[in-house]
Amino acid sequence: MKVDNLFSPIDIAVSGLQAQGKHMEVISSNVANARTSDAGKGEPYRRLEAVFKSDDDLGGVELGEILPDMGEFLRVYDPSNPRADKEGYVAMPNINLPLEMMNLNIATRVYQANVAVLKRYQRMVETTLELLR
Amino acid sequence: MSKTNSIIAIIEAGIKAEALRQKAIANNVANLETPGYRRIDVKFEEFLAKSLDSSGSVDLSKLEPQIYRPRQTPVKSNGNDVTLENEVGEMIKNSLRYTTFIRLLNKKYRGIELAINVGAR
Repeated sequence: MKVDNLFSPIDIAVSGLQAQGKHMEVISSNVANARTSDAGKGEPYRRLEAVFKSDDDLGGVELGEILPDMGEFLRVYDPSNPRADKEGYVAMPNINLPLEMMNLNIATRVYQANVAVLKRYQRMVETTLELLR
Repeated sequence: MSKTNSIIAIIEAGIKAEALRQKAIANNVANLETPGYRRIDVKFEEFLAKSLDSSGSVDLSKLEPQIYRPRQTPVKSNGNDVTLENEVGEMIKNSLRYTTFIRLLNKKYRGIELAINVGAR
């Protein structure tokens, strides 16, 4: 991304908005699949984690990869479930809802912060334009 | 070839381009969920840079803003590449440029008015 013009702060803030929008997608997928015991491949839904990346210099952020969380699956005791194993346990996704709620809050706050930067920078440029009046 | 040195003509071309870009952005936002739609943008700054020669005069016929599809933003699963965030950012940039041109034009006209009033006195 070019960072040599008057409007690069706007581009950077927009990249933050887009990245957090995607983050929100990942979180909502995790929440929606919190009890999906079959996600194909014979195992329950595996939690996804959004990994952000950025160049070394000024240039905003982007969603680099969406990686699976290799943490252990939850084991729920439910002997009447058709998917239960010999001991009566069913494997459930490795999703911790409070953690997802925390991430949701963080994503929202970061999104708001980027909007604040965008608005403030717009006001700054408008102040400069006042000199032209 | 119609070459001009007139600042007013150049600013006018800029205002026209920004007005057209505003339409392009509105069109993009309207097609936010249209499958297969690729966002459109307006080419103008490149033309301005190219047509400005060393004397500072500009060939106005080469300054017509042009609509094109950048096809650079990542495509969503429905073949559409418009994101609301991006369009909002473009809109802010566009309105700031537009204000700049309007203020410059205003200043220019005020100078002319001043000159007229000096003669009238």
